[in-house]
Amino acid sequence: MSFQSSVTIVASPRQRVGKTLLARLLADFHLQEGRPVATFDLNAGERTLAQFLPERTTVATIRDINGQMALFDRLIADENTTKVIDLGHESFESFFSVAHQIGFVDEARQRSVAVAILFTVTPDQTSIEAYRNLRSRFAGATLAPVHNEIFGPAQHRDKYRLAGGGPGMVRLPVLAPGLRRYIDTPPFSFADLNMGDAVRMPLDAHIEVQRWLRRIYLEFRELDLRILLADLQASIRFKT
Amino acid sequence: MARPAVILVGADKGGVGKTTVARTLIDYFGAHQTPTRAFDTESPRGTLKRFHPELTEVVDVTSVSDQMKIFDTLGSAEAKVTVIDVRAGLLSSTLQALTDIGFLESAKKGQITFAVFHILGSSIASLEEIAETARVVGDANYFLVKNFINNTTFFEWDPATYNSYFKKIKGAEEITIPKLNEMAYEQVEVASVPFVSFVGNKGPKGEPANYSFVLRGYVRHWLGNVWGEFDRVKLVDLVSPKMESNVRQVAG
Repeated sequence: MSFQSSVTIVASPRQRVGKTLLARLLADFHLQEGRPVATFDLNAGERTLAQFLPERTTVATIRDINGQMALFDRLIADENTTKVIDLGHESFESFFSVAHQIGFVDEARQRSVAVAILFTVTPDQTSIEAYRNLRSRFAGATLAPVHNEIFGPAQHRDKYRLAGGGPGMVRLPVLAPGLRRYIDTPPFSFADLNMGDAVRMPLDAHIEVQRWLRRIYLEFRELDLRILLADLQASIRFKT
Repeated sequence: MARPAVILVGADKGGVGKTTVARTLIDYFGAHQTPTRAFDTESPRGTLKRFHPELTEVVDVTSVSDQMKIFDTLGSAEAKVTVIDVRAGLLSSTLQALTDIGFLESAKKGQITFAVFHILGSSIASLEEIAETARVVGDANYFLVKNFINNTTFFEWDPATYNSYFKKIKGAEEITIPKLNEMAYEQVEVASVPFVSFVGNKGPKGEPANYSFVLRGYVRHWLGNVWGEFDRVKLVDLVSPKMESNVRQVAG
């Protein structure tokens, strides 16, 4: 199991911590790697992800049973599509409590689908508790804390212990000031090689965004290896 | 030869979920590898038979020939546990019949393990029923089942009244069947399969089925809770004292 057949949930109980940006980057990363991608927007209000990835995004809800069936039944179906979920803060608790109750991670594993949770860390107690909670409830998933460096250098490492003592946090580097306006106006795709043309980005800005992207993609590749490693370890443990 | 066990599932009125409870019992014993047979007294329709056709026979519990079919075979049948789903309103008369044929006498002597699952309705009438059945049953293992499966605001009784009835039965135990999502329950109905088969994504003949994963998940979670209740009252120890009772895994 690796990213090839995976469900990645980008989550945090806080809002405005960079979840949607991370989900976009991850989806575009997969596209660049040549994997079929389906994204799910679980945000109330504005559908930012759906604006950037209109053909791939399903606007989902878990408020009622029909929405839950539409979402989870699809997440474990068609194994060859990589799935990314942008989980809004208001759906955080209900999503994970349903997932826990119906045994989502175990069912996914049985179908050789890896489940990863990208958890954007913040130093507040709510998030720390939520993270700890996820660790105990979803032992079968790869739980990776993400440090959005826009919030400064603090790593909160001590508060977000890594499962299995992996190689540390996923870092989301800061984009050079002034470039946000290019990437935050839809339509825009990181996977589109001609993104400069699309938004009339100056060449130096284009180069800077590419440099930033490379750093992030490197983090994603490392994460992919971590998922593989966790899976290997699990299978070794299973055999002995 | 192990002592045969008879479990009576009854209620004084319909629509309180007797058959649902009987189904969870059959699934439970199945998971514990305890051979079980069932009798459905809802002749000629037989809801229980629809879900467990191989184990279930539809009988008329008031007819002598059918009584023979059930009780004369207790010692010889392969199944150690006999579950009887008693039709609405027939609980008292069934118990009366059991007294008449001396069945309750043998239960008292310890030749047969006898348990009653009394499914409670929301009205006070069913409390009076408790008093009446308690009088007949005497030493049987008596379980009062509060069934919340279809409704969350089922029991709005005065606790003092309830307890005054509850205390009348020596050693009575309370079992709570939690609520199951309506759509999940409905889909199991439509599929007409045991809960365990639904969880394991299997059709009536064990063939692979295509039920919603979310609904299966809800049923698994719910069934786990129901079985947790059966574990709590040590049901397996009751019907077969020497059995290991550590089978905890629902199929799938």
